[in-house]
Amino acid sequence: MNDTAPLIRQGIRDALPIFLPVIPFTLVLGIAILESGIFPALGWSSSPIIFGGASQLTLITLLGDGVAVAAAVTATLIVNARHLMYSAAMAPTFQRQPGWFRWVGSYFLVDQVFALSMLRIHDDPRSFRTYYLSVGITFWLCWVVGTGVALFLGPVIPQSWGFGFAVPVMFMGLLVTGIDRWPKAAAALIAAAATLLAADLPHRAGLLVGALVGVLSGLLLERRR
Amino acid sequence: MTALLAIVLSGMGTYFSRAVFIIALANRRIPSHLRLAMEYVGPSVMAALVVTMLISPAGDLMLGVAEGLALLTAGLVAWRSRNHLLTIVLAMAVFWGVRALLG
Repeated sequence: MNDTAPLIRQGIRDALPIFLPVIPFTLVLGIAILESGIFPALGWSSSPIIFGGASQLTLITLLGDGVAVAAAVTATLIVNARHLMYSAAMAPTFQRQPGWFRWVGSYFLVDQVFALSMLRIHDDPRSFRTYYLSVGITFWLCWVVGTGVALFLGPVIPQSWGFGFAVPVMFMGLLVTGIDRWPKAAAALIAAAATLLAADLPHRAGLLVGALVGVLSGLLLERRR
Repeated sequence: MTALLAIVLSGMGTYFSRAVFIIALANRRIPSHLRLAMEYVGPSVMAALVVTMLISPAGDLMLGVAEGLALLTAGLVAWRSRNHLLTIVLAMAVFWGVRALLG
């Protein structure tokens, strides 16, 4: 039975629209690399090496400002610390997967791949793996090629068009499609409020505080049900 | 060379943060309440990401009428249609439309 092709197609079909709002992000990163004074190809190499938009932007900006390597790397890893939570959330699903996929799949675990594949964790292991890799590789190719193209297009497109707002819009869509019962909606609202209250923390660590408060409140709400 | 060092170290750290629990918990029993808590990672982080993107580097909330209505549209369209492309197109149409109306 060959059910692989439709799953690969589905993964590509799901990943491409999610990449649209990321295009303005690639442009922002492209401009940041050009303005940082780092050799452009070296700055771009952060796309395949780190593969994480917000953290790459943080690192490039700080390096461009002349911040020391240790401090810049620390800030970058704080921005990326939410992936620890993705890793924990995906661990039960990856238990039913072969060893190689745990090592390879981890590399692709970015926000969008996490959000899309969380909707499929109840699929059989092989289908999940096919879908996950399809979404992950599509998204990776778009990001690596897109950030390269952005080095040339970034300075040409005016920022006043406000394309960048498509990024929070995308996360709003990913948020809502992941909600399948009311405690999750409540936890999301609590997480949003906590993030707002912690907005003054350095390195945007309010994101982590908000996310942790959301998960804990979700656990409490589940106990009450 | 320092830039390359910083990029490689950040890449290694990022990979570690994505892999650590997937690999460390590969053969361990995960308690059921922990599994349940992990279902809340998605909604919580996504909500926190949306809010973080509306906060200026100085820590102020940047949420005007256009942004608010666009996010509301995104939420409603995503909830009713479960279609990401439609969500993004309609929400950005509202965002640009309201911005144009308000001048």
